[in-house]
Amino acid sequence: MAPLETPLPRSRGVSVASIFERYGLIVFLVALLLVAAVLSPTFLRPANLVNVLTIAAPLGMVVVGQIFVILVRGLDLSVASLMATVAVLATAFKATTNDAIPMIFAAAIAFSAVVGLVNGWLVAKRDVSPFLATLAMMIILQGVRFAYTGGAPISTLPPGMGFLASGRILGIPVNLITLALLAIVFGIVLHRSRLGREIFMVGSNPKAAFLNGVAPDRVIILCHVICSVCAGIGGLFLLGYVGTVSNWVGQGYELDSIVAAVMGGVALTGGRGNIFVALLGVAVLVVINNLVLLLGFPIEMQLIIKGIIIIGAAAFYRTRLA
Amino acid sequence: MSAVVAEFRRNRLSLSYVIVVALLILLVAAGGFLSDRFLTWRNFGNLFQQLVVLGMVSLGQTFVVLLGGIDLAVGSLVGASTVFIAHFLEWRPDLLWLALPLALIAATAIGALNGLLTIVLRVHPLIVTLGMSSIIFGATLMYDKEPGGSVPRGLADFSYANLWGIPVTAIVLVAIFALAGLWLQRSRSGRSIYFVGGDREAARLNGLPVNRIVVMAYALSGLCAGLAAIFLTARTGVGDPRIGTALTLQSITPVVVGGTILAGGRGGVLGTLLGVLLVTMLNNLLNFLNVSSYYQWVIQGLIIIVAVSIHTTRRRQ
Amino acid sequence: MVTPVIELSRIEKEYPGVKPLDRVDFAVRPGEIHALLGENGAGKSTLIRVMGGAIRPNGGSMTYLGKPVSWQSPKQARAAGIHVIHQELALFSELSVAENILVDAQPRNALGLISGRARHARAAEILAQLGVKISTHAKIDELPLADQQMVEIAKALVGEVRLLVLDEPTAVISGREVDLLFDNMRRLKREGVGIVYVSHRLEEIFEIADRVTILKDGQVAGTGPVGDLTRDEMITKMVGRRLEQIYPARRKAPAGGPDILKISNLRAGHRVRDVSFAIRPGEVVGIAGMVGSGRTEVAEVIFGTRDLDGGTIEFDGTRLDRRMPREAIRNGVGFLTENRKDEGLFLGLPISANVMAPDLAGVTRRGLIDRRGEREIALEQIRNFAVAAPSPEVKVGNLSGGNQQKVLFGRWSRIARKLLILDEPTRGVDIGAKVEIYRIVRNLAEQGVGILMISSELPEIIGLSDRIFVMSQGHVAGEIDGASATEEAIMDLAVRSLDRRESTAARLEQVA
Repeated sequence: MAPLETPLPRSRGVSVASIFERYGLIVFLVALLLVAAVLSPTFLRPANLVNVLTIAAPLGMVVVGQIFVILVRGLDLSVASLMATVAVLATAFKATTNDAIPMIFAAAIAFSAVVGLVNGWLVAKRDVSPFLATLAMMIILQGVRFAYTGGAPISTLPPGMGFLASGRILGIPVNLITLALLAIVFGIVLHRSRLGREIFMVGSNPKAAFLNGVAPDRVIILCHVICSVCAGIGGLFLLGYVGTVSNWVGQGYELDSIVAAVMGGVALTGGRGNIFVALLGVAVLVVINNLVLLLGFPIEMQLIIKGIIIIGAAAFYRTRLA
Repeated sequence: MSAVVAEFRRNRLSLSYVIVVALLILLVAAGGFLSDRFLTWRNFGNLFQQLVVLGMVSLGQTFVVLLGGIDLAVGSLVGASTVFIAHFLEWRPDLLWLALPLALIAATAIGALNGLLTIVLRVHPLIVTLGMSSIIFGATLMYDKEPGGSVPRGLADFSYANLWGIPVTAIVLVAIFALAGLWLQRSRSGRSIYFVGGDREAARLNGLPVNRIVVMAYALSGLCAGLAAIFLTARTGVGDPRIGTALTLQSITPVVVGGTILAGGRGGVLGTLLGVLLVTMLNNLLNFLNVSSYYQWVIQGLIIIVAVSIHTTRRRQ
Repeated sequence: MVTPVIELSRIEKEYPGVKPLDRVDFAVRPGEIHALLGENGAGKSTLIRVMGGAIRPNGGSMTYLGKPVSWQSPKQARAAGIHVIHQELALFSELSVAENILVDAQPRNALGLISGRARHARAAEILAQLGVKISTHAKIDELPLADQQMVEIAKALVGEVRLLVLDEPTAVISGREVDLLFDNMRRLKREGVGIVYVSHRLEEIFEIADRVTILKDGQVAGTGPVGDLTRDEMITKMVGRRLEQIYPARRKAPAGGPDILKISNLRAGHRVRDVSFAIRPGEVVGIAGMVGSGRTEVAEVIFGTRDLDGGTIEFDGTRLDRRMPREAIRNGVGFLTENRKDEGLFLGLPISANVMAPDLAGVTRRGLIDRRGEREIALEQIRNFAVAAPSPEVKVGNLSGGNQQKVLFGRWSRIARKLLILDEPTRGVDIGAKVEIYRIVRNLAEQGVGILMISSELPEIIGLSDRIFVMSQGHVAGEIDGASATEEAIMDLAVRSLDRRESTAARLEQVA
């Protein structure tokens, strides 16, 4: 029987929109790089570029995790607090040799996983809104951290921690290799694996996901665990970059990671987004921040530009896909 | 009797209030038991003094949350307003009558802009107010990074004035809450916030001016931030761009503890007032007990979780 | 000649690429119930929106009560006495009935403050006019759908109403509730109100309407007194050609083989009290009954989304231990839910992902999704079910209602090797797509799948089922053979009240 329905939007139109969605950001980034190169001769110098990327790497790691939570209609405000807490945790071993580094990593990942588990449990099982659950977690971690350090952490770290920021393997910075590995592994999980499909189903329609045999609670909890673990790893790498432990390592990363994800086309309403595009969002954010400095603007200008960009980007994706 | 029960069931909210009130009573009793300085006029005077700013900002937050939105720009706005007020008054201390209304108008306008942006750009309020917060904060810092400015004597006196032993600012706060409550429950425009918060599409189909109501709620949040800034500047005597940073998230706690749900359409200002009392009193008591502020953070986080858990469980039944 | 309440002439509406209304003439007289018929996408809702002021037409003119008008907003149309009741009810679930009825007209006291007491008094007065008993204090989400609909109608009576537009009001109610609705429509009609009535159910048109206008592709395909057109002529005008047979032929021989599903003494909550029946392979079993009779709840219990308080469920002779959708799916059971947007589809995901949703294991190789395999299966289902879509990558949200429903059939037909539960499978779907869906259902049965179909549309139940169970107040009130069933026989069972003792017990249970 011939189709009796209203005419469909042609599929080409749909994919053009999605291509634009994907490449529009690249175009923007390239334009930004060009502007940067023209305005500031120092921008394209390898030293500056490496510097930009080194700053970008820990944020990128947090974003990789943040996406998982946003995709299931959540968000995680506790990532930054977790980063600082993991940094403080790293000092707990009072290690002066590099032998302790694997242990520090193991402890950080385990601790982060537990935090993610609690966040996920609150959201999935206790019906606490992700905003409030992770907000509470943020404050609680902050309290625990300060209570442990008494306000002033003693920065005893293995000397090798600096390698996380400055080290290179085959000439490529270690932190970028790690970010690439994280992005690829979790990219495959998200976009190719069965779990990834379940994540998109839950984000798109949790009720329907349940009726199709998926356990939404389990998926949401897993997403929170992945998010926290990524943030924990990002925290260690940021610690390596900063060099000394403070109670505020990673401050602002909770919002920056959400900003980058939104700029990278991840919908806060869940069920739509791509890890690699979101990482482009990180690149744009970091390049803009760098540009502000190179142009000699006061650093506060970053805040203003960031504010305009997050609103603009969200509005852009909204209209593109409306 | 069954009618009473039915009324209670219908008005699940009032049960939330009962829980918060019970907790408050428990807290006062515990406070009196644990410290002989807690149950004194002097302490309560202090306590009211402390809760005025948080109360004001939380009230503004309540309007927006009732609407189903959230305002993450309040903290920056409070900071910016204190800077404006203090610097203006340092320049012309005689123009107090002009400075304060100007500050309120500006804060209200910025609040309205938040609302307007959510409508025009159709972007989630979380993102809009987050972005605006960043812009406001950046702009304020570009003007002045450090606390500065000053206030005339009269304004400072107002903040420490007492009437029958009660801080005048607290009386003003309660009066504003009462007015806000009356407006929300008994006026057409106030009720319309519940309609829009309950179901925006339905409100539109019912011919309500949805956009106007949204802008109004955010404008009110801005106005409350401006009022909070006045209280704050009067007390501290300076304008400090960073003073509101923590207020943004702090202002949400009393709202949700008071039973106003983030999804919108349910709750009220009485709950928020009780929530502000609870949070402030708890911190006050913990100070008396010499509990470090670090643990107070932990406790505040736990309160959010417990309160929201209680309210959502009640709702599911 | 009476002046029409509203008269539209040569109304046009155009969007880039589509023309939902093309020179449409339409008039409603006072005291007339005017049915508006047409397939989905024929332009009915656009026409309704034009009348209600939600859309401004590109061309043509409109007169209201004899004067030319052009609405600037829904508010203006409403103030003039036009009240539109949309398919999706515009109610506030957290607020009281009274507040909902008087949304924009809350009575105020001398100080200009809203008075709660006056609000309830006024709301009660309006509800009494409608002859319904609903507490004005109740919250909307505590009310059954039918009562919610009455609240929506009550809103129309707050101000002066001259034109009432009802968009598929009976889609979610049945039986007595429809009667109550019709009684009220007739009463308003006697008071001189013009009524526009949109429905997919032709039987209702004959029962209630005076005149009918049929839209087809944005144009008027026919208009006139209801008596002048037969049912078949209406369908022909709607679809644009004759539908020889709406329902496919029933199977000749009675279904054989062991029971695929056997449920005994099922109890769940207060909606399912004691239900027992069995389904054999290859038969279509219809479940009829009022909304609220426990039909959907039985399906949910079988599929594992609702807790079981007592009784047993056996698939293929074995009892299931764990009751989860996952287990049901593994056992070859599919469930096409009533509300396809809320519970069925992933609107933001492509057709392929929607088709494969319950069978991820079937396309997972070493933990990863086999995209090519998934695409092939999706393509095959698109062909099998004639989904009008250019590729499996199209997002389901971009499809029309009928095509979305076919995607769901594409999904569940793969899963439901044994049993497919259908809850209102043709709701909101136009007649052309309905016929296709009936064929699909019959074909699946021919292949040996047992079908359990819940529907409020009696002709559909009668036309398609081999056997019919009628549910009433959580019980199976009776079984009727599909071939000899009549609407009267079904209704008789559906409204038959249980014996006094049982219903008292039931009421007590409800109170507790």
